Amino acid sequence: MKRRDFVRTLGAGVVLPSVGAFRLGLFASSPHSDTSLLVPMDDAQTDHLKAYGIVYRVVQAGIKSEWLLNYRGGSFLLPDGDAIRRDAALNGVAVEAVDPSRVTAIRGEIEASNADAVPLEKSPKIAVYVPPNDPPWDDAVTMALQYAGIPFDKVWDPEVIGGALHRYDWMHLHHEDFTGQYSKFYLIYPGSGWLRDMVQFNQAAAKQLGFTTVPDLKKAVARGIRDYVSNGGFLFAMCTATETIDLALAAHGVDIAAAFADGSPIDPDCDAKLDWSQAFAFTGAHVEPDPGVASFSDIDGHQVNAPTRRQPLGAFKLFNFSAKIDPVPTMLVQSHRDVIPDFYGLTTSFMRTRLKPADTILADEEGAPWVKYIHGELGKGTWTFFGGHDPEDAQHEIGDPPTDLSLHPHSPGYRLILNNVLFPAAKKKELKT
Amino acid sequence: MRRSRSALVAAALIAFGPRLAPAQSVGAGFNLERQGNYAGAADAYRLTVASDPTNLSALLGLERVLPQIGRQGELLGLAQRAARMDSTNVDLRALLLRTYVALGEGDSADALVKRWAAASPTSEAPYREWAIALEDQSDLIGARRVLLLGRTKVGRPGVLAIELAELDERSADWEDAAREWALAVAADRRQSAAAASVLDRAPLEQRGAVIKVLTAEGAPAAARRVGATLLLGWHRPDQAWTAFAGTLDAPPVSETAYALREFADRAGAEPTRQGQRVRGLALDRFAALVPPELAVRARMDAAQAFLNARDVAEARPALAKVAGDSTAPAGIRIEAREAVARLEIESGALDSAAAMIAALGEAAGAGVREELSRALARALVNAGALDRAEASLAGDSSVDAMATRGWIALYRGDLVTARRLFRDAGPYAGSREEVTDRVSTIALLYQVSDAKSARLGAGLLALARGDSAAALDTLLRAAAEVDSAGRPVVRLLAGQVAAALGGGRDSLAGALFASVVRSGGNSVAPAAELAWARLLVRQGDAAGAVTHLEHLVLTYPDSALVPEARRELDRAKGAIPKS
Repeated sequence: MKRRDFVRTLGAGVVLPSVGAFRLGLFASSPHSDTSLLVPMDDAQTDHLKAYGIVYRVVQAGIKSEWLLNYRGGSFLLPDGDAIRRDAALNGVAVEAVDPSRVTAIRGEIEASNADAVPLEKSPKIAVYVPPNDPPWDDAVTMALQYAGIPFDKVWDPEVIGGALHRYDWMHLHHEDFTGQYSKFYLIYPGSGWLRDMVQFNQAAAKQLGFTTVPDLKKAVARGIRDYVSNGGFLFAMCTATETIDLALAAHGVDIAAAFADGSPIDPDCDAKLDWSQAFAFTGAHVEPDPGVASFSDIDGHQVNAPTRRQPLGAFKLFNFSAKIDPVPTMLVQSHRDVIPDFYGLTTSFMRTRLKPADTILADEEGAPWVKYIHGELGKGTWTFFGGHDPEDAQHEIGDPPTDLSLHPHSPGYRLILNNVLFPAAKKKELKT
Repeated sequence: MRRSRSALVAAALIAFGPRLAPAQSVGAGFNLERQGNYAGAADAYRLTVASDPTNLSALLGLERVLPQIGRQGELLGLAQRAARMDSTNVDLRALLLRTYVALGEGDSADALVKRWAAASPTSEAPYREWAIALEDQSDLIGARRVLLLGRTKVGRPGVLAIELAELDERSADWEDAAREWALAVAADRRQSAAAASVLDRAPLEQRGAVIKVLTAEGAPAAARRVGATLLLGWHRPDQAWTAFAGTLDAPPVSETAYALREFADRAGAEPTRQGQRVRGLALDRFAALVPPELAVRARMDAAQAFLNARDVAEARPALAKVAGDSTAPAGIRIEAREAVARLEIESGALDSAAAMIAALGEAAGAGVREELSRALARALVNAGALDRAEASLAGDSSVDAMATRGWIALYRGDLVTARRLFRDAGPYAGSREEVTDRVSTIALLYQVSDAKSARLGAGLLALARGDSAAALDTLLRAAAEVDSAGRPVVRLLAGQVAAALGGGRDSLAGALFASVVRSGGNSVAPAAELAWARLLVRQGDAAGAVTHLEHLVLTYPDSALVPEARRELDRAKGAIPKS
């Protein structure tokens, strides 16, 4: 996107409905041509989450920026300009004007330490996978994108099956149960109106798209998403989507859905028949055979809805990667806090014993048999799985009000989500190192 | 049911473990079991059983470890021998029964239960143990069949109700679970707390059915009280009281009194007016059932609950009853009279309140008397009776009195005195809301340099009395009279009043805000712009609001209102979800 388009996009209403000063052009009237703007991401930052929105919009305008990995909490270096300053001021994002000599000094510090500067050159086009009804739970990524002012499209099964994913650089999955069992919500919320809607929408979609059952549809959707990643897409998944997409991929041709979902019981030998080579992250998992137990498999360490297995929450620690050697995982763990309180989701964490050897662990709970945040490659693309539902609502329950991120502008958990949004913007050759 | 089995195992370990462990290898078995060495543990337990065939601790150990290594069949002979050797031991019978079920020997299990039941025809234990064993094998249908059979055989309606309720709960059938709990609490009222605790987990959609079962016509009093407890927890206090009130005649009285007290305590945790009101009702009925010394305190608490609920009609007779009760301790009677005086002040019966305060005289402590006089003075100020208010404060040198005198001066238009008194009263007088009101008023007064402005005082008094239309009219006139420096802040206030009135006054509010934004300067213009933006949002003009909010943030970056403006900006753009 070119600068002219940036002005148009900002004026289009998605991000900033009011355009006044942007019509002046980003740099044409800038009195700051030899300075740069540092967006600090340490404790000096006044709104960490909105800072990502500022950077996204700058990159979206075709203006090259840099992500200073491990420098002051993963700061950003932007060209100076009135429009950027204005955007930052309106959003309450702290920026520091730095002259060329200071920039040189910063580069020196980066060179001499475990830090690196990664160019950001193309803002990713984002798709969020959400059902068409209005489910009674919040979606951390959608909320983070809305709060930061980053535009996105919503897609669902018809778009995935119809091959529309190639239009997007980055895709997010959250609470979907790709085993087609409606997250086994009937155990806890039988008779709920929203659950009825969910079943109805999914059954209608399966019929419309030519599938006999919802589990069959979801397996096909999972394969569509896998193909998208193989062809170079960036996938970010949280909560149930992480565990169930892998179960759905491994269960091609195997019945792992209870009778209430597809009319036939789970194949009693399903564990032995699963093909984990098709999955993104996990291997060798045991499928939960009891339809009366609110759990999908033994991938999740915390088993929040299975009372006899439920584990208490601790805190997870981000790994410290070498910025110059491993820029990708370094980008994904940029934060002003290393240790973050854990939070539940239908899938909260991932058992170490169920990870594939090639997975990169980005964060774990020290001493615990599970990890929290993982990353890997598939074909030309990458995937990142983050366990849990809402980083600022550790016990989020269905029907709870959505989290108001303006009350959590420094949330380190939400920062991890936004790292993922921005990471595809990094220059390709940097990603391949 | 699982809990009872765990408890049995734990009890067995405590009872038998330490005594037999050293000689008979049970301790070694535990250690090996903990290390995951199930084969080793099985050998150790078997060693014990070889020398002591009825050793329950070792047998239970075998029951735990043998299935882990696929050798569960080995337990059968050992369990049969133990049950034969100690044929009256219920735990050994239960173990044998579980073993039969685990090994799929249904006929043997059936025969064992029949023998056991024949020996103890009034006991539900055989059926409970059988059901537990079946449930352990995930045979919930079989477990239900056995429990129902047990109920028929034992012949008492509430038998095995808790176990059946648990099964219903597991299959998410909360209505049937409620039915079973109703039977259980009717048979044993001590189960009420457990019933309420379990049924409280019923999902929203099934709560109506649960309540219907528990409070149905003819339902036992204990069940209806469980229903009332649930309704309280689900924030439906009025319905809770209706359900509870229907049980007040149920004997025995002592139990009813206890239940009323418990209900009142639970209702007290409900912060709503309805919750407080039903607390008052429960305490009032409680007072009628308990000895006089308890009754007086209960009536005072009931009156306080009614006051919290702002239910003057209920509070007044309750207080009058205590105040006029010659058998009540003097201290409580005075407390009741003080409360009545407060009530009169709050309800605007100021003459009556003044008479009561005078009548209380020395009986009330000096602190209480002054506090009542100040409350009366504040009420008189708001009623516009400024001279009477001042008289009521005579001799009171407290900071609260100083603050009230500040309001009197302000409403008389004496701005200099009002500024001084408010400043001297500082942030310590009155409630948090009163402090906030005073601070905002000080902020206004410091922008108006006039020494006196009767019009401004009158406008603010009209506002305090809730007469917004008159306040708007008077403030607009005051704005024209005060000096030019003070004009914007008075206009801003008038604009806020106009915006609050809404309707046809929105355009006036917008015009006032616009004039303040143009001429108000850094101290007032941000507030006017924020108020203007809020007005536009209310009118559905989000884009217009965004323009003003952005202007505010960018033009007055150091204003204390910028964070608030950013939040409004986020709201106007839809960046914050509606909750």
